[in-house]
Amino acid sequence: MIVCVAVVGNQNNPVYLQSFTEADDALKLHHIVHCSLDVIDERVNNPKRSGPTLNETFLGLLYPTENYKVYGYLTNTKVKFIMVTTDLDVKDADVRNFFRRFHAAYVDAVSNPFHVPGKKITSKSFAERVSVIVKSFGSTAA
Amino acid sequence: MIGVGKAKQYANVLDKPLSRGRQEVSLSAFAFLFSELVQYNQTQVDNIAELERRLEDAGYAVGARVLELLCHREKGNRRETRLLGILSFIHSTVWKVLFGKVVYLITFCIWKDNLYQKRYVADSLEKGTEHEDEYMISEKELLVNHMGAFNCGAFVAGIVRGVLDSAGFPAVVTAHFVPIEGQQRPRTTILIKFAEEVLRREARLG
Repeated sequence: MIVCVAVVGNQNNPVYLQSFTEADDALKLHHIVHCSLDVIDERVNNPKRSGPTLNETFLGLLYPTENYKVYGYLTNTKVKFIMVTTDLDVKDADVRNFFRRFHAAYVDAVSNPFHVPGKKITSKSFAERVSVIVKSFGSTAA
Repeated sequence: MIGVGKAKQYANVLDKPLSRGRQEVSLSAFAFLFSELVQYNQTQVDNIAELERRLEDAGYAVGARVLELLCHREKGNRRETRLLGILSFIHSTVWKVLFGKVVYLITFCIWKDNLYQKRYVADSLEKGTEHEDEYMISEKELLVNHMGAFNCGAFVAGIVRGVLDSAGFPAVVTAHFVPIEGQQRPRTTILIKFAEEVLRREARLG
């Protein structure tokens, strides 16, 4: 079950954060997302010196906390997507698929000429698409 | 019988499935939009330099979005960290998507420490400039220059600057006319001058 998704810009500024649980612990999720930024920076700046991992977009499992798993994805413009989930058995292919669709929705939201790059994404249609993608993630993983 | 083919015949034209359409925009639609953009900006400014700056800003916004879009569409989405990588990405992929063709020639000129000879990539024939941080993309018939008496290449320069900036290579990009003998139209050249930090990083990466 996906708990939250976040989009962080290239200056590590938050661009979008959406939680999908009923509990109102947005602060804790902000904190988790913030910590995962450090992990991403470390992965990007000190890559394992094997060729294919140098330019990969999908960063994989960043770190597991108490009962959450955090996955990361880095786009070409240093925009980072973070996904926090509580599922214990998540298939890699599912997460990649999720990020691919999420990236498509993000590109469409940014292509809006009224969107200022770096500011928060306020488009309602983007929020709807994201919630559709999140819902379908749960069902295909089962 | 004439007309009987493999395609299913629809009784009503409304029943035909919608085609996906070609991934192109008509030239007249773009020309109309671009001319409106130029005219609107002309009413707001007093001189040519300001107009070019505004066109470049408009192009910058396009460039930033084009980079996101192209990186998503390309299979195997690599992030360009090298200078040559991002330049060849621009002159092949970006140009093909925007203008439907490959740039006519691209010239590199790298001089470092007074030691080196000029390096050429592709089938370039021109000599470059003397500065080590400048690169040029040269185009015979820039699309936006078919309309209008002055240099609308500033728009394309803005697009290139947007792509480079979003990819992490801050640069100053300008468009110039280069007169060539034998052709009455001067060739348009996009001059890219990278920032100091980009060159340092490139030197560090080896």
